[in-house]
Amino acid sequence: MPYILQQLLTESVKQHADKPAVWARNRTLTYRELNERSNQLAHFLRKQGIRKGDRIGLFFPKAVESLVAMFGALKAGAIYVPLDPNQPADRISYIITNCGIRGLITTEDRLKLLDPAAIPCVEFALLTQESANSGSQIHTFGWSALNYFPAGHSPELDATTTDLAYILYTSGSTGRPKGVMLSHQNALTFIEWCAEMFSVTCDDHLSNHAPLHFDLSVFDVYNTIKAGATVHMVPDDIAIFPASLANWIEKQQISIWYSVPSALVYLVLHGKLDAQKLRRLRIILFAGEVFPQKYLKQLAQILPHVELYNLYGPTETNVCTYYRVDRARLPQMDKIPIGRACANTEVFGVDEKDRIIGIGEVGELFVRGPSVTPGYWGDPEKTAKMCVPNRFQGNFEEKMYRTGDLVSPDENGDYYFLGRRDNQIKSRGYRIELGEIEAALLSHAGVCEAAVIAIPDEEIGNRIMAFVMPHRTGTTTAVELQQHCATKVPKYMIPEQIDLLDVLPKTSTGKIDRVTLAKGVRPVAV
Amino acid sequence: MAETGSVKELVRKFILETAQIKGVKEVGDNDSLTDSGIIDSLGIFRLVSYLEETVGVHVGDEEITQDNFRTIADIERFVNAKMAASNQAAPAH
Repeated sequence: MPYILQQLLTESVKQHADKPAVWARNRTLTYRELNERSNQLAHFLRKQGIRKGDRIGLFFPKAVESLVAMFGALKAGAIYVPLDPNQPADRISYIITNCGIRGLITTEDRLKLLDPAAIPCVEFALLTQESANSGSQIHTFGWSALNYFPAGHSPELDATTTDLAYILYTSGSTGRPKGVMLSHQNALTFIEWCAEMFSVTCDDHLSNHAPLHFDLSVFDVYNTIKAGATVHMVPDDIAIFPASLANWIEKQQISIWYSVPSALVYLVLHGKLDAQKLRRLRIILFAGEVFPQKYLKQLAQILPHVELYNLYGPTETNVCTYYRVDRARLPQMDKIPIGRACANTEVFGVDEKDRIIGIGEVGELFVRGPSVTPGYWGDPEKTAKMCVPNRFQGNFEEKMYRTGDLVSPDENGDYYFLGRRDNQIKSRGYRIELGEIEAALLSHAGVCEAAVIAIPDEEIGNRIMAFVMPHRTGTTTAVELQQHCATKVPKYMIPEQIDLLDVLPKTSTGKIDRVTLAKGVRPVAV
Repeated sequence: MAETGSVKELVRKFILETAQIKGVKEVGDNDSLTDSGIIDSLGIFRLVSYLEETVGVHVGDEEITQDNFRTIADIERFVNAKMAASNQAAPAH
């Protein structure tokens, strides 16, 4: 039984050496190539002084090298940190210094975006291309530097299942992203459940639609490698064209698709989905946000042969509940549940009186078990707030994760998601803290007060809108503020609309009155 | 209906207006609109509605592909071909 993630690869290579493990940008790597290249990378990293527990950043657009980087880092005993290649340099530099990344695997053009003075912890960069002439002050190697290292075996490593494997940064309410630490055990608990639940085999072709810093990709990559299957990374320039994406799914013979609902909504609306052409597709999984019921019903009709599953779980717990869409019941259902706990996971709702809730009652969802994160990188305070002692059993000390999601179980034991306890929202499946956007706005010299609100939207979940009171009227404009946000937060967090007001409405307690602001919202111009 | 030569500028104007909030200040004819996140799927469908309104072409879902919409030059080529086809189809005066 594998207890660290790289064993999934070293096991599969024995039987599937010459099968493609990964497809990206019209290139593939076989299991043998992936295993050998990641061995070389692990030795290279050791040569640069990387030791167990050191952090390696992955900062480049998806490519076959993404998997080499992930497995190479793990084989060296390092913790990898996927960095979104499309996020502003300011945010990336923050993440790099926050978790003290010592080595970056990147491309020449991405490296140029970073100011070496802002990331003093980085000791070297390895480019996924041949050229090593980056002109950067950071000591830089080309990909061919790996050729000089042994391919046949990985470095010696003492590791246990509770060691960290990767850190995924998500939006933080205090204005800075926070790093969710995930151990080998966290990931494997989920992967073991998936392998059995979805009977993934070496004949499967899995899609990878989600970015690698988004935990949906954990399913795609590690289920593939465990089964000896092939993962196909959706090209960026195809992902935004539903008709092209549908053709790509057919051409790559995808059998298991996993994405946020908004990607599937676009496929339903504009993809000209055809059950005959997509006959190889056997499972569609979705997670990250609520699937609008009317489009889910259409999807179920268009692709009658495909099993549909709703997966649920914050990054801190991987996936913790699932629901298999029941086609017979779907037409009568107003919404689908997030379902029940995955294997080796327990979930329960807790109400305001600190009681575990029963059927039909409402409470906050708690999660316990080996899939739950050990906490946030370098933030014991936040960890203590979210990963709390399990007060419902007194036999031994353990932590459980409070999701902040309000839920209610039905008579079948399936939980329904009702909403959030705080200011976190989802847009296109991305988890967004409105506080992080407010902090970005407030960092602009001309802004006195700012409030960001979410306007529910059928296709993408939520649209983001901001209200700003400038220090002096006329000193800034909406566009200027949006451009300012673009340097601080990812594109999907930039407010679509910013209204400049002379004064923001306040509640009786002196807080900004978001309810009044939301009521007065004009329809977003399309 | 807009003149053929101006399709490129119409598209550029639309893209710069929607992408300026992301800090995009210029877009070349052959720059990829999709790789760098200048435009997302929502933006593509807004652009299509805009083209349908300003240029008067009808764009089918199956035509909204990366071959036709990857760059401003691609879009111009696609729209001009659509317009030429609809002109040919129209009866002679």
